[in-house]
Amino acid sequence: MGQNADYHSTVSKQYRQLLKQCKVNLDRNDQELPAAAEDFGELLKERGVSRRAFIKWTSLMTGALMLPPIFKPALARAAEQFSRVPVVWLHFAECTGCSEAFLRTSYPGVADILLDTISLEYHETIMAAAGDQAEKCLEQCLHDFPGKFLCVIEGAIPLGNNGKYMRLGPKGKTGVEIAKEVTSKAAATICIGSCSAFGNIPAAKPNPTDCVGVSKAIGVHTINIAGCPPNPVNFIGTILHYLMFRDVPPLDGLGRPVWAYGKRIHDYCERRAHYDGAEFVQQWGDEGAKHGWCLYKMGCKGPYTYANCSQVRFNDGISWPIMAGHGCIGCTEPGFWDTMAPLEKQIHEDTFGGGQATIDTIGTTLLGVTAAGIAVHAAATACRHRDNKSETK
Amino acid sequence: MEHIVPKKEWTVAIRYNHWLMAAAIFVLIASGLYIAYPVNLSFSDKITEMHDIIFWHILTGICLTFLFVWRVYLMFFSRFHADWKDFFAWMNIKNSLKQVKFYLLISKEPPEHTHLYGPLQSVAYGGLLIMVALIVLTGLILTGAAGYKAGLTGIMYTMVRPVERLMGGLASVRLIHHFLSWGFVLFIMVHMYMAFWYDVIFKEGTVSSMISGVVFRKAHK
Repeated sequence: MGQNADYHSTVSKQYRQLLKQCKVNLDRNDQELPAAAEDFGELLKERGVSRRAFIKWTSLMTGALMLPPIFKPALARAAEQFSRVPVVWLHFAECTGCSEAFLRTSYPGVADILLDTISLEYHETIMAAAGDQAEKCLEQCLHDFPGKFLCVIEGAIPLGNNGKYMRLGPKGKTGVEIAKEVTSKAAATICIGSCSAFGNIPAAKPNPTDCVGVSKAIGVHTINIAGCPPNPVNFIGTILHYLMFRDVPPLDGLGRPVWAYGKRIHDYCERRAHYDGAEFVQQWGDEGAKHGWCLYKMGCKGPYTYANCSQVRFNDGISWPIMAGHGCIGCTEPGFWDTMAPLEKQIHEDTFGGGQATIDTIGTTLLGVTAAGIAVHAAATACRHRDNKSETK
Repeated sequence: MEHIVPKKEWTVAIRYNHWLMAAAIFVLIASGLYIAYPVNLSFSDKITEMHDIIFWHILTGICLTFLFVWRVYLMFFSRFHADWKDFFAWMNIKNSLKQVKFYLLISKEPPEHTHLYGPLQSVAYGGLLIMVALIVLTGLILTGAAGYKAGLTGIMYTMVRPVERLMGGLASVRLIHHFLSWGFVLFIMVHMYMAFWYDVIFKEGTVSSMISGVVFRKAHK
């Protein structure tokens, strides 16, 4: 017990020190960041977010970031500063689904207000300016906030044909050129979605344009908020962490924040008990599906996928794929699409060589061939070494 | 006149290692098959069938890890016969061709007995050890990912985790793990057949040698 108490006092002391540092950082942000366009408190009132709802949201975010409750006030302050961080949002080879997922939600919660008021200096989809005007916005931002703005990238970068598969803007720059130019001046680069993180569907076979993820394309360190689309919580949390600690959160080997991508979907899945109890859905719409049993046999890739979907869910915690009755497709993993195929079958039912052959059909065939070979060899041996018996006598 | 001389071929350590590894591999193939194609067996009131079988699969896999380390240790530091050189018997090409001809029943003359293993045997056993290494490696990654990462498995997981990235994610690791298991099934079939075949052709007690440790060589006087 004594040891335990020591441990707790040490830990809480460390957290208090961290909180002190956090306050210093937030004060510094207050001085350095450009002024907010709208007052955050007023905005919350206007959109009908009660104080209670806001405090609930801070609890959620503090918990999601794996911080103790004493950080809630600091997180609330960081949320106030959220809309003051200049952001440049670039689009490359992708479907804009990530932006869509962030913009359209069930009802305006705190997260949506944050994303609505985010200080976007440049966003090709939703900006009013076009052509030369838009280009001017980008140049202005690079000039005004060098080393201070966040560069958010959505989409993979095509490298094929010297990057010429993608030309953007009035000057017809290639994706590689724009990415290099903007990321070199950014404080940090956040890759939204699996396309910019690992290549995703644009990089799936046969990949004619030779698409790759941003960090591989231009060799910069990126914070990868993987997912197709990723959860807004993971994006907002990463920026809040950046504001509170003036540093990027700890990342795993693939550049994904550990607080969001440290555990597998499977680890916190609400259907996990059915997996452990060997209760599986055998086909769509059967009794097991009605009972909400495990989707492992229907090709759920939860056991191979690192993400917090099962913890925070989507759309303000309303639902998420497995809750809705379909298995996880593993969209946060590198090589998603190719390595996770077939999406509605188990991983070992992947086919090889363009035909219907799976590992198991190849294996069984080899087993049959071996058995037949053994039988033939045994018979042939019996003939060939017929005189063997007399030899030893 | 010829008479039969018993010759010690396998040490106690090798024999124990062989049979423990065999037992572990059989348990792992059976439980692994269940994990790939789980069914509700309902053999007891317990409601954690899948979880229990995964646990035993992992426990046996950890045993296999130690057996593999022990085998590699014996390969280099066995006091009786460190056999690492014997895994390169295939490098004698002439002898290897002779062996192939003998196996294909083209020639009745067996190749010279230069090493502990025959040329093709050395390839098969070397390959088996490489397969064990790979399946243990992928298994340890999957073990750690499944949450078994306290103490020793934790240390091993930290060591092998970077390989997950090289293999292209956990899904690929799982696929390779499944793929390798077929190699073991095929190896066991051929290995058992060849052991009996040797026993029949040479009449030296090949099968019993893995229990007694002794083969019976014919000596001419």
